[in-house]
Amino acid sequence: MHNIKIACENVSKTFLQKGDTRVDVLKDVSITVRDNEFVVILGPGQCGKTTLLRMIAGFEKPTTGRVLMDGQPVGGPGRDKGFVFQSYMLFAWRTVRGNVEVGLRMRGVPKAERRVISQQYIDMVGLTGFENHYPHQLSGGMKQRVGIARAYCNDPQIMLLDEPFGQLDAQTRLYMEKETERIWLQEKRTVIFVTNNIDEALTLGDRIYTMKDKLPGTLCNCYEVDLPRPRESTDKEFLRLRKQIIEESELVL
Amino acid sequence: MTSHHIANEIHHVVREKKPFSLVDDLLMSRWFLYSMSVILFLGIWYYVVYIDVFGRGLCYPHEVITEIIRLTSRKLAGKELWEHAWDSSRRVFIGFGIACVLGIPLGFFMGISKYFNAVFNPIFNLIKPMPPISWVSLSILWLGIGEEPKIFIIAIGAFVPLVLNAYNGIRLIDEELYDVVRMAGGSHMKEIWEVSFPAAVPAIFAGLQIALSGAWSCVLAAELVSSRSGLGFVIVQGMNTGKAAMVIAGMLLIALIAYVCSFCISYLERKICPWRRDLSTH
Repeated sequence: MHNIKIACENVSKTFLQKGDTRVDVLKDVSITVRDNEFVVILGPGQCGKTTLLRMIAGFEKPTTGRVLMDGQPVGGPGRDKGFVFQSYMLFAWRTVRGNVEVGLRMRGVPKAERRVISQQYIDMVGLTGFENHYPHQLSGGMKQRVGIARAYCNDPQIMLLDEPFGQLDAQTRLYMEKETERIWLQEKRTVIFVTNNIDEALTLGDRIYTMKDKLPGTLCNCYEVDLPRPRESTDKEFLRLRKQIIEESELVL
Repeated sequence: MTSHHIANEIHHVVREKKPFSLVDDLLMSRWFLYSMSVILFLGIWYYVVYIDVFGRGLCYPHEVITEIIRLTSRKLAGKELWEHAWDSSRRVFIGFGIACVLGIPLGFFMGISKYFNAVFNPIFNLIKPMPPISWVSLSILWLGIGEEPKIFIIAIGAFVPLVLNAYNGIRLIDEELYDVVRMAGGSHMKEIWEVSFPAAVPAIFAGLQIALSGAWSCVLAAELVSSRSGLGFVIVQGMNTGKAAMVIAGMLLIALIAYVCSFCISYLERKICPWRRDLSTH
C-alpha cells in the first residue's frame, strides 16, 4: 500500500568515552517507517532514542547495521532530512526570519525569493508578526515553532523531531501537539517523533515504537494507533491503548 | 486589564501607604546608594588625611582637582597635560591594536582547528601566566628605549585575554548548533561562517574589555622605561617630587580615559550584537 521510506536494519551504536570506555547505546534496533507516516518513538530518558534519531538524520553513523532511506544508505545529514532539536538550537544572532532562512541562505537562494519561502513557513507555524524578533524575545513554544519552520524551509522529505516539546509547560505542550498535527496534515511528510510522553505519543502517532529503559537501548513493542484525528485523550480506545502500553512497558522495567 | 493587573495596582497602593516608606524608597534608590557610597569614601579619605596617617603621602581630595587644573595650565617636560594623556593613549591604542590583530585570529584558529591548537597551545600556555611587567627588561634589550618597548609591553598585556576569550568563545559553542548547518546541507566553511564566528563575537568583546583594562594598567609599567612623556611619567614625576596630589591626578586621568574607552567598546558591542539582551552600560 505504502512505500517504505525509512528502514533501520539491526542498528547498533557504541560510543567511545574517554578513549577506551565503550558504551553500548543501541542494540539491534530495526524499524520501518512508511511514506507520509507519523511514527513516534516512545521511551524514557537515557534509552538511546535520540541517538537513533541522530543516526537516521545522518549526524551519527551506526556501528553495525544500516539506515536506509528510499532503499539507499543514509550518507550524512542534508536538507532532505529536517531535524527539530530538543533545545531549539536557534541562532541567537539571527532574527526569526534569519533563523528560518538559514538553509535557503546556504543554498544561495536570492533574497526576494528567500523572503517569500520563509514567510510561507513563518505563517504556517503561526509566527506572523514576529519575523524581526530575536530568539531571546520569544517564549519556549515560539522558539520551537521557529525550529519547525526552519526544518520545513529546506523542503525535507522526512521530518525528525527529537523531544521537541520536552522543555515546555504542560499547557503549551498540549497546544503545540495540536499545532504539530495541524501542520503535518497541511504539509504531509514522513515524520519520526521522539518523546518520553505517552499522551503525546498517542495524540500524534500513526504507529508507536516503545523502547526499553536501560542501555543499550532496544525496541520493546510496536502499536498501531488507528484512531480518528484530532484525538481526545479522554476517548475510550485512547485510554485502553494508554493502559496497554504502560502495562507492557512496565513488564520490562 | 486582567484581574491580576488590578491586583498589582492595589498591592502597589498599599505599599506606598506603609509607614517609613520614605526610608524604604531611599534605600531602594540606586542614585541615593551611589551618592552614599561616594560620600562615604570621600569622608573616610578626608578623615584619614585629617588625622595625618600618611603625612605628606596623601592630600585632600579637593587638592587633586586643583592639581589637575594647575597641571593643565603649565608644561611638564615641555608638554601640556593633554599631550601627556594623548601620548599614553596613543601607546595604548597601538599596543592594543597590535594585540587585537594577532591575538583574536590566533585564539579563533586555536578554537576551530585542533591541529592549530596542538601547535600553539603549549607555547601560549607558557606565556599566559607571565606578568606583562616581567617583559620590561627583555623589551629594552630587544627594542631599546624608544616607543617600541612601551608598545610591546602594552601589547603583551592585552594579548593574553584576547587569545583566551576568542579561544573559549569558540570552544564553548554548543556542538548541536553546527548540526543545524549540516542539516541544511552546509559545508564546513559554512559552519564556521554561520556559527563559529557570530557565536564567538560576544566572548571576543568580553576579551576586548579585559584586554583594554589590561593595556591601561600596563601603561605605567611601560612608561617607567625612561619616559619623558605620558601619564605614567606624570605619576613618576609626582612621586619623585613628593607630590601626592600629582600622583593621584595621574591615576585619576588614566582611570577616566580607560573608562571612556571601555564605554566605547560597550557601545560598539551593542551596535554589533543587537541580539544580546543584557548588555549593561556600566
